Amino acid sequence: MRDIYLIMTNEIRVTFRNPFWIFHGLVQPVIYLLLFGPLLNGVAGTRGFPSANAIQFFAPGLLIMNALFSAGFVGFSLQDKVDCGFLERLRVTPVSRLALALGLIFVSSIELVIQSTVLVLCALLFGLQFDLFGVLLLVVLILLIGVAMASTSFTLALITREGGMLAGVTNTFVLPLLILSGVMLPISFGPPLIQVLARFDPFLYAVNAARALINGSVLDPSVGIAFLVFAALSLVTLAVFIRGMREAVA
Amino acid sequence: MPPIIHTEKLSKTFAGHKKQIVEAVRAIDLDVAEGEIFGLLGPNGAGKTTTMRMLCTLLVPTGGRATVTGLDLVTQAGEIRERIGYVGQKGGLEPVATGRENLMLHAQLYRLSKAEAARRVDSVIERLNLGSFADRKAETYSGGQKRIFDLASGVINRPQLLFLDEPTTGLDPQSRARVWEEVRALHAQKTTIFVTTHYLEEADALCDRVAIVDLGKIVALGSPAELKQQIAGDIVTLGFNDETELSAASALLQSQPLIRERHQSGATLQLYVDRGDEALPEIMRILGQGHRPPKTIHLSRPSLDDVFLKLTGHTLRKSESE
Repeated sequence: MRDIYLIMTNEIRVTFRNPFWIFHGLVQPVIYLLLFGPLLNGVAGTRGFPSANAIQFFAPGLLIMNALFSAGFVGFSLQDKVDCGFLERLRVTPVSRLALALGLIFVSSIELVIQSTVLVLCALLFGLQFDLFGVLLLVVLILLIGVAMASTSFTLALITREGGMLAGVTNTFVLPLLILSGVMLPISFGPPLIQVLARFDPFLYAVNAARALINGSVLDPSVGIAFLVFAALSLVTLAVFIRGMREAVA
Repeated sequence: MPPIIHTEKLSKTFAGHKKQIVEAVRAIDLDVAEGEIFGLLGPNGAGKTTTMRMLCTLLVPTGGRATVTGLDLVTQAGEIRERIGYVGQKGGLEPVATGRENLMLHAQLYRLSKAEAARRVDSVIERLNLGSFADRKAETYSGGQKRIFDLASGVINRPQLLFLDEPTTGLDPQSRARVWEEVRALHAQKTTIFVTTHYLEEADALCDRVAIVDLGKIVALGSPAELKQQIAGDIVTLGFNDETELSAASALLQSQPLIRERHQSGATLQLYVDRGDEALPEIMRILGQGHRPPKTIHLSRPSLDDVFLKLTGHTLRKSESE
C-alpha cells in the first residue's frame, strides 16, 4: 500500500510540474468543446439527429472521447520512464510490481476525473443540463474506460519499446474506435456496413450510455451493456499490464 | 567466506528476429568474493550488460543457476533487491523531479520511514558533496552531476553489493576520476563492486579481478596482472599507409622466428615478440631491405586491450564501432 502511495505521489508531482500537461490535459478537450460544439449546432436541426440540443448530444460523447484519448496515450509517459532508466531503477528496489502498475493506473485515473470535471463545467456554460446521479455513474464508467485504455496503452508501451511504433499502433486502433462510436456524428447516419461494424465497438455503447446518463436515464439498456463491457475489459487489460510489469525488460 | 556472487552455467537466450534464438549469455561460471572490485570487460553485444541485468534481478535467466548475497537469484529476488544497489547505463533519475526528491523516493521504496529516509538522503548528499545542486531538477544536471547522483541513488540502501553498468561512459575526464574516487571510497568501506566497462585502462587500474567476455562466454578470468602475463614479452605496433602496404610487409616478416604472433587490424600490424629491444632493429632491417618501411613504429608492454585482442582476435575498440 505504501508503495502505491509513494509511486502515486511521485507521479502526481511529476505530472503537474509539467506545464505541457495543462495544454494537452485541459485545454485540448475544451478546444473540442468550443470549436466542434458550435459546428454541431448547425446539424442539430437535421432530420434524424437524435437531439434538438447539440450540446446535450455532444458533451457526453466528448467525455467518452476524452477518456479514450487521454488514457489511450499514457503509454508515451511510460516509455519516457523506460528511456531515462527510471523504471529500471524502480525495478531493482524491493517495490512490488503490482504497486508500480497500480500507482501509474491510479494517477491516470485521477487525471481523467479532473479533465472530465473541467469538461462538464465548461459544457454547463453552453447550456448542458444533467442529472446528478446519472453524472456520478458516468464518472464511474469513465474510470472503467480509463483503466482499460491506460492498461492497454501501458502494455503496448512495454511491447513496442519505441515511440514511433507506439504512436502508429495506438492511432490504428484508437481512430476506428472513435469514429465508430458515434461521438462526432450519429452512427444511424451511416450505411448498413458501418452500422454493423459499430456494434463491435465497445465505445458505441459507452457513448450511448453517457448520453442516457446525462439525461438521468439510468435504466437505459446501453448503460448496463457499457458497464459490463468495460468492467470486463478493464479487468482483463489490467491483469495483462500487471503481468507485463512483472516480466518487463525495462 | 562464501562468494557474494556465484553462478553455474548461467545463460540467457532471447527470441530474436524471425524466430532465431539469440544466445546472449552462454553458460557463464563465475565467483565473486566479498569485498572485491570485479570488472566484466568486453565489447558491446558481448553479454556484459545481460549478465549484469540477470545478477541484479532485472532479467530472469533462461538457464543455469546463481546465488547473489547467498540468496537464490530466481526464488529470492525480492530479498536480493534489499541488499544490492544498481546503477544502470541510463542512470534512472526522474528528470522533472529534483535530485533530492529522486533520492527520497528511492530511500522510501527501500522501506525507510519518511524521517529516516530524509536523514539518509541528507547524509548521502553531504558525503558526496551534492548539496549545491540537490534541489534543482535532475534534467538541468550536467553529465557528471547526473552520474554522481545516480551513484548516490545506487548506495541509498547501503548495499553489500553494488552493480555499476559502464559508470564512466561518456563522461569527461574529471567526472570519470570523481566516479572512480567514490567507487574506491565504497570499496574501502567493504562494499563489493561489480562493474562493466570497456575502458580497459580503468579496469586495469581499479579492478582486483576481471573477466573478459566475448560472444556471451568468459574467455579469460583473473587479476589484470595475471592476464597480462599470458602475453609474455613485448608488442611492436607498426602503422602503414594502407592495407596493401601492410600485407606486403607482413609477408616479409612471415617466417621470422623472433616474431611469435601477428595480428592485423586496419592498417596497423601488431607483432608479439619475446624481447622488443632485440626484435626492433631486426624488424626494421627486414622491412628496409624489402623496401616496405612502416610509417610509424611503437614498442609497448602488453595492456588488457592486447590480452583481449589475443583472446578474441579483434580489438575492443574495433568491435565497438561495428
